[in-house]
Amino acid sequence: MQRTLRDLLIALVVVFGVGSAAMLIAHASPIAGFGALLDGALGNASEFAETLLQTTALLFPALGIALAFRAGLFNIGAEGQIVLGGMTAGILGVALPLPGLVLIPLVLAGAACAGGLWGGLAGFLKARFGANEVISTLMLNTVALLLATYLIGGPFKQPGAGASETPQLPAAAWLPVLIPNTRLSVSFLLALLLAGALWYVFGRTVFGYELRAAGEAPEAARRAGIDLGRTALTAMTLSGAIAGLGGATIVMGVLHRFNTGLSPGYGFIAIAVALVGNLDPLFIILAAFGFGILQSGSIAMQAEANVPRDVVTLIEGLVIIALAGRRFVAQRRTS
Amino acid sequence: MAEAALRLRGIRKHFGSVSAVDGVDLDVAAGEIHALVGENGAGKSTLAAIAYGAVKPDAGTIEAVGTVGLVHQHFALIERLRVWENILLGREPRAGLRIDRGRARAIVGELSTRHGLAVDPDAVVETLPIGIKQRVELLRELVREPAVLLLDEPTAALAPSEIGAFFATVQQLAARGTAVLIVTHKLAEVMDYSQSVTVMRAGKIVAAFRTAQTSADAIARAMVGGDVPPLAARTATTSAARLSVRDLCAGSGAGALAGVSLSVGSGEIVGIAGIEGNGQSLLADAIAGVADYSGEIVLDGRPLPPALGPAQRIARGIRIIPQDRRHEALVLGWNIVDNVALGRQRNPPLQHGGTIDRAATRRFATGVIERFDVRPPNPSAIVGALSGGNQQKIVVGRALADESTLVVAYQPTRGIDIGAAALVGSRLIEARNAGAAVLLISFELDEIFALADRIYVMFGGKLVGEFARSSIDRGRIGALMAGG
Repeated sequence: MQRTLRDLLIALVVVFGVGSAAMLIAHASPIAGFGALLDGALGNASEFAETLLQTTALLFPALGIALAFRAGLFNIGAEGQIVLGGMTAGILGVALPLPGLVLIPLVLAGAACAGGLWGGLAGFLKARFGANEVISTLMLNTVALLLATYLIGGPFKQPGAGASETPQLPAAAWLPVLIPNTRLSVSFLLALLLAGALWYVFGRTVFGYELRAAGEAPEAARRAGIDLGRTALTAMTLSGAIAGLGGATIVMGVLHRFNTGLSPGYGFIAIAVALVGNLDPLFIILAAFGFGILQSGSIAMQAEANVPRDVVTLIEGLVIIALAGRRFVAQRRTS
Repeated sequence: MAEAALRLRGIRKHFGSVSAVDGVDLDVAAGEIHALVGENGAGKSTLAAIAYGAVKPDAGTIEAVGTVGLVHQHFALIERLRVWENILLGREPRAGLRIDRGRARAIVGELSTRHGLAVDPDAVVETLPIGIKQRVELLRELVREPAVLLLDEPTAALAPSEIGAFFATVQQLAARGTAVLIVTHKLAEVMDYSQSVTVMRAGKIVAAFRTAQTSADAIARAMVGGDVPPLAARTATTSAARLSVRDLCAGSGAGALAGVSLSVGSGEIVGIAGIEGNGQSLLADAIAGVADYSGEIVLDGRPLPPALGPAQRIARGIRIIPQDRRHEALVLGWNIVDNVALGRQRNPPLQHGGTIDRAATRRFATGVIERFDVRPPNPSAIVGALSGGNQQKIVVGRALADESTLVVAYQPTRGIDIGAAALVGSRLIEARNAGAAVLLISFELDEIFALADRIYVMFGGKLVGEFARSSIDRGRIGALMAGG
């Protein structure tokens, strides 16, 4: 708990300290820059809704990544899992002529399966051959993007579709809007619900207990009857499924069609979100909101304060380095 | 008495509300082997860490005439580096920008010959048995030629035959003027090798002796603050075999099992005497279901095939006290409650409908803490922050917390004090009295003689001798252990 708060504080210091320095280098005023950023993210209801939309897009993959992390596995493949989840939603949503009440859960489940398959593939390689999941998930990202491009342009090509996107989904497959006149859908609530569910799973269930044991002390866990291979497979499958679900909510709630460019790197930024939230689902909500502000405010910052958007990318990268580095050092000390 | 090489005055250290060291004055003379003894959690290791400079005291002064070296209870080696890289870390001989590997190997070779501590400079540390790692740890300190050498439980991991050689090295160092402070639980070593003894209890010094003028008994009484509790009585008699092992083979090379057949009856403690590295690890691991093996293991008439994993074996009442508590038994970042649940997380009453029953788990932990006198008696304490002895009590307490069919205890009293060792011994006898088959694997003959109803001697992956409790022949057992 204390450590989590400390991590959040580190993140804030990095954000404002490094952000200010970068803005000064770019000959912009940090006060104007951050002012424009915060105003652009939180200034009015529609901007706030846009921030929550970014929060949601980050929250799904961050929760998936945290689940894998808890099991001692580094899922860098959330980006690819988002793409495949989104693609599945884009294809199923158009292909199935069903009423919304049936269609939406079905499409979400299909997307979770696709993401889960992709994550599970890395888990299987790990369990069966000991393949490092960092490498395999990273490489599967590229495969996912190319596979999606091929599938929607080839076997699943539909009339009226562009080169890298599916046709628009029927309204039955759209997620209901949460705040009228904005793009924010109920997917935000779904993400919050999922965070609560994961908090319960980690802290209360036998499954979560075994997952954490396998992550923190694999040899002790193995001797206590926990099947490490099966745990790796399950954790990576669920991790991928959650990220895939995130991809589907972008398609069904925001774009209303699948587009291969649906994620501007959510799957990577989510790694920082999960670490800033110290792998605790409830703190991850806060972390996702913080990064959501950066994401949605950065456009206003560029337009109004003449600070390049890249400053935000820079900040996000440094937060990852600061926290991942700290975590790594802490792990080395305890082992 | 020679001039003090290490002089501690008024040392105090608190961890939270616990006073670990509470106003300690201690002098260690140059050329002296000084033993620091006390129960688990008495503050010995903390005091050593303060003298070394690794822990900052709240109050007090530390004076030393030269550099201070510390060989830690838990090895602080870099597992993936080679022996010479570990020993010379930070002082590598250079040739331009490169490390001069040839000279590095020569330095380590010369050092190991001079001190009689044989090591292969090019071996990767993680591949070494625990006894050799300890040598590397010692060499790493000796390369700095310390004026004061602190040894925290230095022989806890060593075989009996290695202990003599180890102390020969230490005596040689002392003869050259090094001041040596040994933190230990083993009173036999204190009596045999030290010149002075200081006894700590609850953070304070409660007694100090010249070794020549005291007895092991007097030291033990000072440590415990009274009489050492006697072992529990053996009530039940041994009946039919519960565990029978036939032609068990496992592993390859040194430490492999080469056809072991044995039996352990209900209500019987069977001791496996032997020097570490003669197949004991694989025997325990095969029974635990974490090593591949051929041959037969039968428990209560039902075979345990190699494919049967640890979970099913636990379900059949097999309880293992593994050799390496920090890696094989505990999750160091977790509290006591979560740790005692490990291995039972799927079984009622700790589990209902897929969730962990927190109240039941806490009650279970409290029971273990009380039965095994874990200190501090706080179920929420993080296990990694406890002393080694208290960690061991949790591992043993967890294994012996409920009715079992077979208990495999691998060095169950490693690193724990005499009071707690008597407690663990009594609990093993109680498990035996309740009808369990107990297989006790130990490198300490005294422990085996005190507890076992029957003894096998293990050498080179085979059982080379068998003795009933009534016909123990210490000399013969010692000879068999050494391959004679």
